[in-house]
Amino acid sequence: MSEKTSDAVTKKDVRKAAIRYMFMACNTFNYENQQAPAVVYGLSKVLRKIHKKDEDYKASLNNHFNYFNTTTWMANLLLGASVAMEEKDGIKSKDAVQAFKTGMMGPLAGIGDTLVWVLYPTIMGSIAGYMGLQGNPTGAIIWLLLNVFFFFFRVELFDLGHTSGLKLITALGDKLNVFTEAASIMGLTVIGALIPSVVKMTIPIAFKTGKVSLPIQTEILDKIMPALLPAVLTFVVYKLLASKKFSVTQIIFMVIGLALVCSFFGILGV
Amino acid sequence: MEIIQGILIIALAFWMVLDQQGFVITTWFPAIIGMIAGIIMGDMTTAMIIAGTFQLMALGVANIGGSSVPNYGLATLVGIYVAIRTTHDVEHAKAVALAVGVPVGMLGIQLDVLGKLLNSYVSHAAQKALNLGKFKKMERIFWLGPLIFGLTTALPTALCVLFGDKLVRLILDVVPKWFTDGLSIAGSMLPVVGIALLLQFMPVKKYLTMLLIGFVVSAYLKLPILGIAILGFAFAYYYFTQNMKKTPAAATAGAASTDALDEGDDFDE
Repeated sequence: MSEKTSDAVTKKDVRKAAIRYMFMACNTFNYENQQAPAVVYGLSKVLRKIHKKDEDYKASLNNHFNYFNTTTWMANLLLGASVAMEEKDGIKSKDAVQAFKTGMMGPLAGIGDTLVWVLYPTIMGSIAGYMGLQGNPTGAIIWLLLNVFFFFFRVELFDLGHTSGLKLITALGDKLNVFTEAASIMGLTVIGALIPSVVKMTIPIAFKTGKVSLPIQTEILDKIMPALLPAVLTFVVYKLLASKKFSVTQIIFMVIGLALVCSFFGILGV
Repeated sequence: MEIIQGILIIALAFWMVLDQQGFVITTWFPAIIGMIAGIIMGDMTTAMIIAGTFQLMALGVANIGGSSVPNYGLATLVGIYVAIRTTHDVEHAKAVALAVGVPVGMLGIQLDVLGKLLNSYVSHAAQKALNLGKFKKMERIFWLGPLIFGLTTALPTALCVLFGDKLVRLILDVVPKWFTDGLSIAGSMLPVVGIALLLQFMPVKKYLTMLLIGFVVSAYLKLPILGIAILGFAFAYYYFTQNMKKTPAAATAGAASTDALDEGDDFDE
């Protein structure tokens, strides 16, 4: 290469990127591109070092503005490796970075959300909550200290992604595909379970004939299939998104509008 | 002293949402928030009893996949503040904390939905600044995100610190019930957008079986999500071990990436 197009990325830059991303994580969360702004914020400094040309820098960041959502703890590994990819191949790596990120975020979200947001708080919450009822803060203090430990662990995870993420990918080669497929299998199982447990819709209306009352939700819909409405809604939104006729923002406002109208007429209840 | 305590409580409210969504050290889980509030208010025992009550209520309430849940941390914080200010009897304090904390925590759902909606505009503004080449401006715009989220918890807390719980009840009374209910309903429907988006990027058609199994086991058998994750892991492990034997490890990373991209197009149609 005749002219210098990028500066060397130091360990300090990587740490800084890790901490920047970890701070922002879900603090710019929106229903449209979800964690993408946080990714841009996190990587903006280190990518500026890699892409000296303004055009390349813009292209790279615009690429990171694409929808991104996974468990933030797991994202560190992905983003560390993404930085390494852009470091190696410059802006040419753009599509590979995007494919890598979108290929891994779903499977990792399925695994990560269960570990980080369900398992860990349930165990620590039961212990700390039980001790708390007796006025004892010990459980809460242990929980806090564990969080501090995990904080540093996550910084290391970003580092690991940066130093060996690519090596891992190259070494695994075709096997990475097997791994991604296996992770997708687990991820989809968990997402299938998320639909009835996270998306909630209830119809509070009941048919009344004389003294007999027939609640629609419990006596009709639940008899056909539990979580019928969430399943239908997921299918409809999935198809709307796939059709690309509406932007994500439009779909969000459609859902809110539907909720408000249904609430006004008492069709849906809390 | 009381003024300082009030300010610290509001600051903690501002910080806790940012930490929960970012560093995850103090979090907004009631037990830890209660412990810190106990230090601020100088009454650890009462604070921890209230926090423990809310913590056990909050078990199993996870805000995953972009869902909005009642903010039990906010409930704990406001509950502890008002309770310790108004009474010295522990049982009475618990009742006061529940009466004040629960409605404020519920208000947290609506404010969270609002924060996530507003952040769409933050993202748009930042990307616009980027494309105009105003990189410094872009960095500054991003800070509106944490500011918005911090205010979603700091504002209701500040109102409670200043006016007690009366104002929160007044707000909940003045705004029509169908509207607040509607926002709550929207809050429990909107995760569907995140789930559907995630599905766009995953091989849904290829592994529809897994999606259906997960759904059935959760909806019909009511198995907790952790059990379902283990089930998913079992399928994944089987697939992994079976296929690792077959696959020769000759292909390059480049091939793997393009494969992933091709798949992306496949179920995107």
